[in-house]
Amino acid sequence: MELISDQHPLVIVVGSGGVGKTTLAAAMGVLSAKEGRDTLVMTFDPSLRLKQALGVGDEAKLREVPVALDAPGALHASLLDASQTFDRLIERYAPDEESRRRVLQNPFYRHLSGTLGGILEYMAVERLFEVAADGRYGQVILDTPPTRQALDFLEAPARIVGFLDSGALRVALKPWFDEEGRLKAASKWGLLGRRAERFLDEVVGMDLLRDMAEFFQAFGPLYEGFRERATQVEDLLRSPKTLFVLVSGPGEERIPDTLFFARRLEEAGYHLGPIVVNRAHPRFLVEGAPPPSTDPCRPTGWELLTWAGERDRRGLVELAKLLAREQPLVDLPLLPEEPTDLKALEALGRQLEGRLAEWERYVSRSS
Amino acid sequence: MNPIEQLSNRQLIVVTGKGGVGKTVVSATLGRALAAAGRRTLVVEVDPRENLHQMLGTPPSGGAIVPAGPRLWAQNLKPRQVLDQIVREQLRLELLTRRVLDSPIYQQFSTGAPGLKELAILGHALRLLRGLGEPGTPELDTVILDAPATGHGVTLLASPHLVTDVIKNGPFARMAGELAELIADPVRCGIVVVTQAEEMPVEEALELRTALRARVSRDPELLVINGLYPPAPDEKDQENELVSLWRRRRLLNEREVARLRESWPGPLAELPQLALDRGPEMLATLGQCLAETGEGAWS
Repeated sequence: MELISDQHPLVIVVGSGGVGKTTLAAAMGVLSAKEGRDTLVMTFDPSLRLKQALGVGDEAKLREVPVALDAPGALHASLLDASQTFDRLIERYAPDEESRRRVLQNPFYRHLSGTLGGILEYMAVERLFEVAADGRYGQVILDTPPTRQALDFLEAPARIVGFLDSGALRVALKPWFDEEGRLKAASKWGLLGRRAERFLDEVVGMDLLRDMAEFFQAFGPLYEGFRERATQVEDLLRSPKTLFVLVSGPGEERIPDTLFFARRLEEAGYHLGPIVVNRAHPRFLVEGAPPPSTDPCRPTGWELLTWAGERDRRGLVELAKLLAREQPLVDLPLLPEEPTDLKALEALGRQLEGRLAEWERYVSRSS
Repeated sequence: MNPIEQLSNRQLIVVTGKGGVGKTVVSATLGRALAAAGRRTLVVEVDPRENLHQMLGTPPSGGAIVPAGPRLWAQNLKPRQVLDQIVREQLRLELLTRRVLDSPIYQQFSTGAPGLKELAILGHALRLLRGLGEPGTPELDTVILDAPATGHGVTLLASPHLVTDVIKNGPFARMAGELAELIADPVRCGIVVVTQAEEMPVEEALELRTALRARVSRDPELLVINGLYPPAPDEKDQENELVSLWRRRRLLNEREVARLRESWPGPLAELPQLALDRGPEMLATLGQCLAETGEGAWS
């Protein structure tokens, strides 16, 4: 399993929140640059510590920032900030100044851009596409948003194309309101229509509907460019060269989540590489440990760490049983501290690579 | 007064925080503790994948309100259900209802309209508290909302304000108005923020507090720091790999707890990591631990 290699110009790291995706993505990036590739790590919302480890600040929100790493390949980092990129999207696809102004000033858009997750996630994919298309990097490592529904992020292009094609836009593009600001359809539908109009006014208020209709109309000229790009992004994500790394937390209780992600990725036609069970408590053989605590609220560290080591081991064994034999599965131990510098990140990257090589040896031996 | 006593007269308790910190565990623990203290309590989970039932030791809710012990119920809520129900009640005419529910405009509106889904979740809680649930719904004293892990924690609590901004009249606007009042009222509504003593969750908890102040003009009631490693031994002669990992994880915890104590003005409750699997026994123990915390902080 060559994870950090020329065969995979794009590696996408996915998984639930809080499992250490971002740190692993950075570790892979450092390793890739050490191996001589020009590498870009794209990440959402990294911790301050990781930003410090990479030596980048908020300027990485605007462009790709070089990381001061002593390596044959150049390492760059970029922070994805969805709210800024949405406006950029409108700027890009608006055919003229008037269309641009109409969308950006629409009150519904102002609310929408702050709250509608799907489009924001789409924007990150969009930026990824730009980077991948210009071919400057030998490998791009993408960390996905810290949400439970990280898959939303990947499905965003398909969903947006689906929405654009669904007819909702076409429906919305019809002139819904006559000059007096009344629903046109209402008069055609007769009594039912008047009732519908009253309902809509009572339930959501006509102002919002007018803003929405106006938004979709303003969006109309942007439709083609947007749709075409979304389709290309889809192709990139499904390319056999694009490899997904699924990161999971340790323990049996995480297994359903991990299986769910793995299945969804495969069903969607993405190429799943290794599953990494991260931050697993190591197993300790303890001799002469003090007796367990009598207060259930205050277990000793001896009890807790021994128990957690066994639990996490059990989780890994159970998960392996549920996966296909050829599915690469490795665990990484809980570190005493999160990596705080490039050296620690490189060490983590090497550890991951080492575990994958072990897995490979193990599988070839037992077949 | 301990956190459970403090929260025991609230009607609505919203439990919020970053994904993966143990919001559902804390919600379920509070639910059990309040039910044990005599409050008829419902714990509502908003997550397409059910977890709550595992901890309470009940079968999955499948969207319904299911009993989970004496005076305790659980529900896995689908926000869309609630929105559709409101449309049905407003329209009352089957043909028109279907036409509205199937129309692409409504579909887009109900998923895209700012704050509407979140409003539906809060609105559901309010209706149950007022005894306006479907026939057969138990009478309730308290609803505990385990906030969705997606989006920022403040989205749910700020949704009534957001909705009143864009929708001026009609049932959604009225509901939003009532909910904004409920959330602003510390006598009726408690907000519990859950975090872990690690950098990112702490950062988000602090951001959440700032956002709550800015957008709903109030502070949370309680911060729960979940999953702490136990204090490490002092003796140097016991140093081995286990103790070293334990010591350094504990140190990290202590550093972050200190940061919270410095910048968090309200009460904090520290919960230990337990050597127990998720389930009723874990909840019972955590309830006991929670009752022991917070002395002084509440006086």
